[in-house]
Amino acid sequence: MTPSLAAILPIIIPLTAAAVALLLRRNFRLQAAWAFGAMLTAFATSAYLLWTVWSTGRPVVYQMGLWPAPFGITIAADLLSATMAAMAQLVFVFGFIYALGAKDKAVRHSTFYPLFLCLVTGLSGGMLTGDIFNLFVMIELIVISGAVLTALSDDRYGPEAAYKYFLISTVASVCLLFGVGCLYVSYGTLNMADLAARIAADQAPALLPAAIVFLAVTFMIKSAVVPFHFWQPDFHTASPTPVSAMLSSVVVKIGVYGFLRMTTLLMPHADWLRAVLIALGIVGVIFGGLGAAGTHNAKRMFAYSTLAQIGFILIGIGWDTPLSLAAAILFTFNHALIKSTMLMLSGYLASRAPVKTASFGVLRGTGKYAPLAGVLFFVGGMALAGIPPTNGFISKLALFQSGVQAAQSGDVNATSAYWAPLLLLGISSIITLVYVFRALMKIWWEPFEPSSPEAKVKTDGDSLLAPGLMIAACVALGIWAQPLLQLAQDTSAWMRQPQAYVQAVLGERTSRLR
Amino acid sequence: MEIIKAISIGALFGIGLYQLLRRNVIRSAIGLSIISNAINLYLLSVGAYDGVVEAYAKAVGQRSDALPQALILTAIVISLGGFAFVLALLYVIAARYRTGDSDEVKGLSH
Repeated sequence: MTPSLAAILPIIIPLTAAAVALLLRRNFRLQAAWAFGAMLTAFATSAYLLWTVWSTGRPVVYQMGLWPAPFGITIAADLLSATMAAMAQLVFVFGFIYALGAKDKAVRHSTFYPLFLCLVTGLSGGMLTGDIFNLFVMIELIVISGAVLTALSDDRYGPEAAYKYFLISTVASVCLLFGVGCLYVSYGTLNMADLAARIAADQAPALLPAAIVFLAVTFMIKSAVVPFHFWQPDFHTASPTPVSAMLSSVVVKIGVYGFLRMTTLLMPHADWLRAVLIALGIVGVIFGGLGAAGTHNAKRMFAYSTLAQIGFILIGIGWDTPLSLAAAILFTFNHALIKSTMLMLSGYLASRAPVKTASFGVLRGTGKYAPLAGVLFFVGGMALAGIPPTNGFISKLALFQSGVQAAQSGDVNATSAYWAPLLLLGISSIITLVYVFRALMKIWWEPFEPSSPEAKVKTDGDSLLAPGLMIAACVALGIWAQPLLQLAQDTSAWMRQPQAYVQAVLGERTSRLR
Repeated sequence: MEIIKAISIGALFGIGLYQLLRRNVIRSAIGLSIISNAINLYLLSVGAYDGVVEAYAKAVGQRSDALPQALILTAIVISLGGFAFVLALLYVIAARYRTGDSDEVKGLSH
């Protein structure tokens, strides 16, 4: 296998497998086995891609149809893209394991696995592509497959949630197209590397700030940053559990990836964008924490908690020091693992509850019959709040340390830009602890009082295999954090040298012409 | 010519946004479709400013950029699929909630 082909395999494999899985719709077991096998293969290729990029130290670039870079569509995997894609596909492997053991009617639907594979395709494609219009196409693929998967949900409010999500996402897509149009009218190219080179050379076009604003709004809607978050708790509550676990953990990361690309590759000159990200991150951390503490539904609580965690990541991106970018990558990875575990555990409890819902009113006291889930929930809650020995602790520690370091090295005026966020971060960690243990107490400590004599806790629910494996991974990554930390630091070092990416995509010949 | 194009794109955006924000869910779906058409026109005007020269080209020449037209084709196909999906969802919502008022479609808000 030529190394450049490795860049496209993580996209092509799930896409082809989705089409084939649709043909296998008459035989459910075969379809599920096929989809899971394809997902494992795709993950193997993205892990291979990550390994190739990391060990050789050079981006892997694939030019579609062998058209040279600024004209054709480029698939470019630098360390950031490869890390994000491998992270997304790793979490999706666990999502497939959960879906295979789930009792939902939605996962038995003949289009569930093809759509789930399309979701992976869109996500990894969006993270690996080097073409900004291709990014739009991939994001649309995510939107439509996510919305259809939610409309299929067992929850009777599935179509309503899908409608809300689809409407707001289409507005986001319009913003993205508008931003793409602004960039094209100013620079005449859609290739991200070419754009980066041209923007660095000339920042005069009047439409450049408009493009930045529209792209930023798109990614804010995608990752549910606070003023654009309102669709997210509704949507994530109503989707089927395997889907909501993926949506709230890795699919929101496409926005984080977009911000990382914007602040380090495309528009590194836009300091005001970083200031906006820090401000919105702080608001998100507080608002998300308080929102989560006030909910009456376990899934909704974790959806709000995603707002807070995305806020932490945005603050890391906004600080823009080598360590804080590494912390943002680490946070992205660890949050994806933890949040999908917690949502899977909530879904597990809902599948055992007398009525299939994750609302605290129904779940109250049902934990007595699910002691193993209680242990996992406890460890996962500690990881979410950032208590050792879990991976949540490592990422929060890295973020705090980067802030302290930057505050000490900066001048007197700048230090307040670091101390105020740090203080709020500390407070919000306590809020995390409050809402996780509130849920723990409600579900496991309070007595079970059935609403009617027939209401009983079901003896079997969804499989606990996927959350169990993921909690094991969380603890393992908390104790043995070195490789992941090294990967995050290398990624941040790559991000601070965008010219290497530009050169790898455009090649020596084109850069000499310019 | 440019001014007519600019005004009509702006008007389509305005109408689409107004309809999108209406309470009726069917109106908001129509607003969505109008906005996607406005964005297509915008992309078209990006490619062939004044019908002849690309907006980003500094030198005057007799050519028109074909790339935005390819972008529009993609965007049209995507928005067509999306609109069909929205209509299907609206059918389910109308059958289940027996109303088109978005204030009444609020099963998730508690």
